[in-house]
Amino acid sequence: MKKLDIRLLRMIKHSKGQFISVVVIVAVALLIYMLFNVTSINIRSAVDNYYALTNLNDIHIQLVKIPKGALSELLTIEGVKTVQGRVSFDVPLQVENKDERVNIRLISIPPDEEKINILYRLSGKRAKLGIDNAFLLEQFAKARNIGPGDKLSPKINGRVHELSVSGIAASSEFIYLMENEQAIMPVPEKFGVAFVSEEFAQSVSGYGGSYNELLVIVEDESKMDDVIDRLEKKLDKYGVKRMIERKDQLSHNVLIQKMDGVEKMATILPVMFLSVGAIIISIMLSRIVQNDRMAIGVLKALGYSNLSIMSHYTKYVLAIGMIGSFIGITGGLLLAGPFSQLFAVYFNIPLIRIGIYYGFIISALILTSVFCILSGLIGARSVLRIMPADSMRPEAPKSGKRILLERIVFLWRRVAFSWKMVIRNIMRNKRRFAFLVLGLALAYAINTVPLFEAEAFTDIFELQFGQYQKMDYTIEFSRPMNKQVIKDLSHLIDASIMEPELKFPFELKNGWREKTTGVIGLPRSTRLYEFRNSQDVKVTLPEKGFFITEALSKTLQVKKGDRITIKNFVPGKDDIVITVSDVIKQYLGANAYMDIEAMQELLADQQMITGVSMKSQDEVKEKLKDVYNISAVNSVADMKNSFMEYLDTMYVAIVFYLVFGGILGFAIIYNATIIGIAERNMEFASLRVMGFDKKDIFRMVNRENFVMTFIAILVGMPIGLGMINGIINAFSTDIITFPKIIAPSIFINAAAATIFFVVIAQLAARRKIYTMNFIDALKSRIS
Amino acid sequence: MIHIEDMCKVYRMGDIEVRALDHVSLRVDAHEFVAVVGPSGSGKSTLMNMIGCLDTPTSGRYLLDGMEVSSMNDNQLADIRNFKIGFIFQGFNLLQKLNALENVELPLIYQGIHARERMERAAEALELVGLGDRLFHRPSELSGGQQQRVAIARALVSKPPIILADEPTGNLDTKSGADIMRMLKELHVKGNTIVLITHDKEVAMQAKRMIRIQDGKICDDRAVV
Ligand SMILES: Nc1ncnc2c1ncn2[C@@H]1O[C@H](COP(=O)(O)OP(=O)(O)OP(=O)(O)O)[C@@H](O)[C@H]1O
Ligand SMILES: [Mg+2]
Repeated sequence: MKKLDIRLLRMIKHSKGQFISVVVIVAVALLIYMLFNVTSINIRSAVDNYYALTNLNDIHIQLVKIPKGALSELLTIEGVKTVQGRVSFDVPLQVENKDERVNIRLISIPPDEEKINILYRLSGKRAKLGIDNAFLLEQFAKARNIGPGDKLSPKINGRVHELSVSGIAASSEFIYLMENEQAIMPVPEKFGVAFVSEEFAQSVSGYGGSYNELLVIVEDESKMDDVIDRLEKKLDKYGVKRMIERKDQLSHNVLIQKMDGVEKMATILPVMFLSVGAIIISIMLSRIVQNDRMAIGVLKALGYSNLSIMSHYTKYVLAIGMIGSFIGITGGLLLAGPFSQLFAVYFNIPLIRIGIYYGFIISALILTSVFCILSGLIGARSVLRIMPADSMRPEAPKSGKRILLERIVFLWRRVAFSWKMVIRNIMRNKRRFAFLVLGLALAYAINTVPLFEAEAFTDIFELQFGQYQKMDYTIEFSRPMNKQVIKDLSHLIDASIMEPELKFPFELKNGWREKTTGVIGLPRSTRLYEFRNSQDVKVTLPEKGFFITEALSKTLQVKKGDRITIKNFVPGKDDIVITVSDVIKQYLGANAYMDIEAMQELLADQQMITGVSMKSQDEVKEKLKDVYNISAVNSVADMKNSFMEYLDTMYVAIVFYLVFGGILGFAIIYNATIIGIAERNMEFASLRVMGFDKKDIFRMVNRENFVMTFIAILVGMPIGLGMINGIINAFSTDIITFPKIIAPSIFINAAAATIFFVVIAQLAARRKIYTMNFIDALKSRIS
Repeated sequence: MIHIEDMCKVYRMGDIEVRALDHVSLRVDAHEFVAVVGPSGSGKSTLMNMIGCLDTPTSGRYLLDGMEVSSMNDNQLADIRNFKIGFIFQGFNLLQKLNALENVELPLIYQGIHARERMERAAEALELVGLGDRLFHRPSELSGGQQQRVAIARALVSKPPIILADEPTGNLDTKSGADIMRMLKELHVKGNTIVLITHDKEVAMQAKRMIRIQDGKICDDRAVV
């Protein structure tokens, strides 16, 4: 078969453009596969390693107050291995720019070595914590350019303290640094963490000799639920606010979700790419087999078996597979190192060991082989039908069967001639057309996904902070206050609307399903919140009403009219059972809302409020910066700005996806056109002889491609919609619920991107039409 | 009508040079019926490609109807082909996807003629070649002779002054071949200029003038009566 191999090389040389375009598809598929999978494994193992090294807590408990002495008692609980108490509270940090609001979480470190959540000290390794110094979390230090020796000025209960930075540390608890569940993304220059001595924390916060948080390591992770139950019972009298398992821990949760997302992409994208590659290859191959039918007939007459001839053609695919996978796998492995580093830096994981995971090489090769063999066999399948005697006859002309449309005579008559040609050409090979449309539809669908994400993120923000919440600022008090405080505030600030808020985290329960969430009490006549139910109908809080968000209703499996239990952590207050008045939409965060008076009565104290939201053009931040008992002033405008910055980074991802979809679209149209031209050489030559010029023929081919593109876009819409729905389900979390807002602009822009790449592919294929020698084509037919 | 002066066509394949046309000069007046004969590989088809504006010569001049053709670009040549020349090939070269009527319509489409008129004229041309009852048949549903007649109808439909036929009877049995020749003669009588390429002496004798070509040169040119 040596001669055949030489033919193979000639075949490749002859169809260079096609060969390269499919190799690129295979290479990109495997590159993504290797790169994403290896990076994900690297990061996961680095994270596990980091957790083990720093002994990250299994359970994080927030409570009202627990004396230091009570801790030893907890150690006797079955299943509890280690317990560590700490004081943690958020305070404003004074910075140079007076308008800037920066919050810092002060977390106490035990006087002796910490046993749980051990800090990973990056500098100042030997420094000891006293009453005037602190370790600063790396991300925050970097974002604000603070180094050892610099001073921090946290304002605690109205008094500014001065702490010098003795060292910079990373913490496995804050790999992904977010202030709370309501945060959409990390904003490390606005929120940081400083680790201080227990002595300092207790003395400034009023927690002398006690803690408000516990960190627990369990003996056996599989018995977590039992341990939590026992802990809950034991700690009830200390007012448990929240018990957070490792899997719900904010930073860990986000991290895992990101890695899950990366892994999903690592499978979906390569499979899509390889499918499109397989479509193109099988069409290319069946064309090549048709061209070679005489040679195949002769070989068969000489006694070669079907299998040996088919394997020759499969070699062509194998060549594509081998070159593509070599480039893809090597590229993936080479890039995986830097890519993992990049991720590690982005996530602030200090330890990373870059591994080569041979398992992925093997599975990548298996994936490629399956793809090669399948598309090779499908493409070369027509070898089986060629009989030795056929070699003597020229290729039988495709019998021009009448297509369905032609039978509807009155309609067909009205079709313009040039369109008749287009329609017939398309119908000439229906299965191939279907495959090409499918491939192009996939390319189109890939384009819709990033556009949806961009659209959804913008919509989420605009709905949440334009329609659902209309305030300009929310103010949180450092401790619950009497509602009279609003009067004082309205003297300070010129606000058009000012409403009280009562907000506490509670555990909501429905049977065994439970979820801790912030319950917010609002005046029923609120003008700053707008509630819309699942049918997008505006609803108002009824008397004693209780609303939950769609995300919560899913987690708890409750619907309107169902009753749920609210577990009260306030010592001495009973759990209550309440009816869900409605399920409402909320895209950021998952809260429950209640009539403030009912909430005060049932869950807190009369007249108690914990914050205020307002609509105001006033210099709210400036005016409130020296006011006692205010722990945070959140400005919606600030959030909007940092959100916009975050969106900028998303555009990079969008461009990536568009390029991916573009490569596919290009390859499909380019190859389909080249193959089509080769097949219709004779037809084009006849047209040229009759006086049609190159442009006319190019236009005809264009028209066919655009009909195909148009149909592909129509087919691609439901596919894109399916992918978007997949994204909504896969990536909706407690923090973000993706709205099912399917804006037409997504599909229009994706179509524009697809058409753009189709045009490019047409232009690339145009040369083939322009340089076609039609006289030779006429000759070849005769002899 | 056709005025070729000192025309050469050289094909280069690597180091080898093939002189398909070697300093050919030729005049064909309007309403002539010329047969070109010669052995295989002598350059007949090459000459026809030149006359038909399908290819450009390596050197020499070509005036068609007084127009300098050798310097025209691709699109201008396409125009000339469409309006001045009807082609008939040995291999028919019909579009398999189209029925007889539509195949004949094709040259008129290029001229931008309205659908109704196009259809009428195509049907008329098919009537003329005796296929009035086969308008909606596909090429694959027609015999070889019938296909060639469709090709003739297609060559005629735009009423070009010149008809070029390269071995139109080569693929046909004697009877069908005779039919085709009869049609060409009728066309000549109606005033068309016809250039017929053949290596069949019998066929060539039916023309009014016979040109013999060998090794790219015209070696004989005389009238037939
Ligand atoms: N595209 C080409 N490239 C190279 N050589 C060519 C090409 N076309 C024709 N020739 C050569 O030019 C010469 C004339 O060819 P042409 O086709 O005109 O012969 P012909 O007289 O029509 O022969 P036949 O009767 O067999 O059709 C031949 O020697 C042929 O090999
Ligand atoms: Mg010839």
